[in-house]
Amino acid sequence: MDNLALIGMASIVIAGLTITVGSIAPALGEGKALAQALSAIAQQPDEAKNITRTLFVGMALVESTAIYCFVITLILIFANPFWNYFIEKAAG
Amino acid sequence: MFDFDATLPIMALQFLLLTYILNLVFYKPLTKALDERDAYVRENEVDARERLSKAEKLVKEYELQIAGARRESQSILEQAQADAKNINAQKTAEAQQQVQSEREKAAQEIQQQKEAAMQSLEQQVDALSRQILEKLLGAELVR
Amino acid sequence: MEILDGLTVINSFTLAELEVGEHFLWKIGNFSVHGQVLITSWLVIGLLVLASVAASQNIQRIPSGIQNFMEYALEFIRDLAKSQLGEKEYRPWVPFIGTLFLFIFVSNWGGALVPWKLIELPSGELAAPTNDINTTVALALLTSLAYFYAGLSKKGLGYFKGYVEPIPILLPIKVLEDFTKPLSLSFRLFGNIVADELVVGVFVLLVPLFVPLPLMALGLFTSAIQALIFATLAGAYIHEALEGHGEEEHG
Repeated sequence: MDNLALIGMASIVIAGLTITVGSIAPALGEGKALAQALSAIAQQPDEAKNITRTLFVGMALVESTAIYCFVITLILIFANPFWNYFIEKAAG
Repeated sequence: MFDFDATLPIMALQFLLLTYILNLVFYKPLTKALDERDAYVRENEVDARERLSKAEKLVKEYELQIAGARRESQSILEQAQADAKNINAQKTAEAQQQVQSEREKAAQEIQQQKEAAMQSLEQQVDALSRQILEKLLGAELVR
Repeated sequence: MEILDGLTVINSFTLAELEVGEHFLWKIGNFSVHGQVLITSWLVIGLLVLASVAASQNIQRIPSGIQNFMEYALEFIRDLAKSQLGEKEYRPWVPFIGTLFLFIFVSNWGGALVPWKLIELPSGELAAPTNDINTTVALALLTSLAYFYAGLSKKGLGYFKGYVEPIPILLPIKVLEDFTKPLSLSFRLFGNIVADELVVGVFVLLVPLFVPLPLMALGLFTSAIQALIFATLAGAYIHEALEGHGEEEHG
């Protein structure tokens, strides 16, 4: 295997790992946030509307962690900075 | 996918332009409309509250008047009842008095007639007794 | 060189007719421009301006129709700005935050609701303008400029004193924060929209009928939340710059 194949393989494997591992923590966090919000609503049903709104905004913020991982994955697959370098090197 | 080019500044300029245009045609006029409506509603509310308080004052006044009138009517009624009772008592007393006096008068008349009858009876008794004596003793002896 | 060809195939991978990384390039002088992004952004801008003009053309005291709708939107935006910036400061920032919200919201929903696929372009495809990293970075950089402007116009050069305020040792972190703020803002929006479109694209490729619908609904929901979050965070950053670096509100 030459360098290009190695980089391609590594990129794809790491991309899959990134999105896998990167989804775990936000998923746990969102679950915890949802559980807390549910118990809060159970305690104060009058505030349900407010709590729900804050919950969604907070969840989207937590989820951005997973989105960053997703962006990294996209960069690895579609815009890997090393490809061009090695393609030039292989061509030249 | 991650290639930056002239789209970025164009988009930024475009967005600023959009902000400017929307500020002119959306935010300013509608904010003004909202504020004006708020002011209008608040004004109306103050006005309505004033009117409500005025109406409440009037209601209180009228209630006061009604209470006064009721009291007055009550007193007039009581007065009238008392008057009626008085008149009733007076008339009754008068009637009783009249009856009494008439009865007394009648009794007096009866007494008088009785006396008169007694007197005439006595006279007759006298005359009869004299006649009896005359008859028994003779006319010369009696005198 | 066979491997090289394979890589270029991966690089321009076509996913359920959803071409990732393809652009409809225009040349203006020496600069290249992503044409499909600009076309959809012009449509979005046109829609917003038209709706605004229609709403504010004939303002009634008792609103109806489009005026009512736009007033609802304006009140929503004002509440958003008020809750972030406070009663005293929010008024001059309503246009900026509101336009951020409206532009992103209409872009996201336009990208999700309008069947752009029916319109053929020579290369690339029409999609939400927020689908392109240039747009989101432009918006995020404008947000950065806005909060710098807010801080500088409120406190002058004393604004930079806020960087060493609690303890000077945090200075590098605070400088770093000025870079991470636009980065996280732009990547969050970009990633969410692209993820949404990719997921819908993959599902359409696998099962073309009905199954992608719930995902599309979820996508609409996330798009709306993302617009809300972008505007909320912009408001929070501006508020932070106005108030000083006392409280940390970071996402």
